[in-house]
Amino acid sequence: MTEEEKKKRGFFQAIKEFVYGMAAHDSYRFAMKTRASMEHLFILITMGDMLGVPILPPYYSLRLLPYVVPQISTWKRRMLREKDFTDGLA
Amino acid sequence: MIDIPLADIFEKYPDRRYIMFGGKGGLGKTTFSAATAYYLAKKGKKVLVFSVDPQASLTDIFERDIFGKGPTEIIPNLYAQEIDADRRVKEYQEEIRQKIFDMYGMNKIPEEIESYIQAAAAEPAMEESAIFDEVVDIVVKGGYDYYIYDLVPLGHALYYLSMASVYDAWIDKITGLREQMREYDQVAAVMRREKELDEDAILKELLYIKERIHKSSSILTDKEKTAFFFVLTAEEMIIKDTLKAAELFAKFDVPLSGYIINRVLPSDLKGKNIPEYLKNRLAMEEHYLRVIDTTFDKQILASVPEMERDVTGLAMIEKMAKAMFG
Repeated sequence: MTEEEKKKRGFFQAIKEFVYGMAAHDSYRFAMKTRASMEHLFILITMGDMLGVPILPPYYSLRLLPYVVPQISTWKRRMLREKDFTDGLA
Repeated sequence: MIDIPLADIFEKYPDRRYIMFGGKGGLGKTTFSAATAYYLAKKGKKVLVFSVDPQASLTDIFERDIFGKGPTEIIPNLYAQEIDADRRVKEYQEEIRQKIFDMYGMNKIPEEIESYIQAAAAEPAMEESAIFDEVVDIVVKGGYDYYIYDLVPLGHALYYLSMASVYDAWIDKITGLREQMREYDQVAAVMRREKELDEDAILKELLYIKERIHKSSSILTDKEKTAFFFVLTAEEMIIKDTLKAAELFAKFDVPLSGYIINRVLPSDLKGKNIPEYLKNRLAMEEHYLRVIDTTFDKQILASVPEMERDVTGLAMIEKMAKAMFG
């Protein structure tokens, strides 16, 4: 690759990232945020009894436990922190 | 009194390989399961009778310690099995721990996770679910002509059945959620121009669970392959409860094959010089037998007399089989 080509490529890369930042990054973040909420909802449904919310017999939810081990602590924190909008009125 | 002899049902529907006796506690489900297994085994069929009750009593009726020992041959062609739910739960917990070790290379399970694993095993539904799961293993494995379920008392049996449909609906919901999550992953991946996503291991696991549950609930409700018999006695409360339970079972699409009356007093007692107490019992029984006749019209398959002693051991089981199948 010549010096010229490298410059060109760097320029295009910059444009690409700029356009991505303008147009798509917010959507990307939104998608990931929604995805994370759903992940927490999913853990709540399957592992709810960890918070004292038994949803269903735990035999099969135990099967899923290994996959959510890394998320458990952030999930617990979030579930216990999350507030209803009515809390703001009080 | 008897509308279709029980033996005829087995002759007429040889495809009905999953045999179940339901009814209130203490009416003779285990006795009938054992006697039916004996009868079929003597006819040359390979039979497995197994208990889905954590308080199983096949060990007592066959007078052989079979608890947790897998299928045990009692007489040629007749195998009996009692599931050790406790052990299965323990093994299952260990499996989960091992999986966590393998996946994350930890040398100790985080405290939070460990306490969850232990708490989950203490849940009352855990034993039932573990047995439920093992039954799937037994049935999927195959190898027998007949499978006889020694069921739990009515309430539990209904729970067992409803569990299948509740689980089914639940799994559908979360599988849907999981698939939706995957869509968001895909959108994000496209925007970032990333390559293919990894396979969703959780989704795969959910589909496996779904398949397991489908398997057992499909057997319980398979009209071609399953015969469900109700056991009752000539008493008012039992008739009422049986009627109620039969309606509920019908709601879950369990194919009812008919009713068997147990503990009928020997009719030659009548006219003999018997004490007042027995006379009253006989009169009461006669009345309720008529009630049964009209309530479960054309569905009575056998009327089994009260035996002179409790049914344990092969000699009494044989006698019972004779009384049931003639």
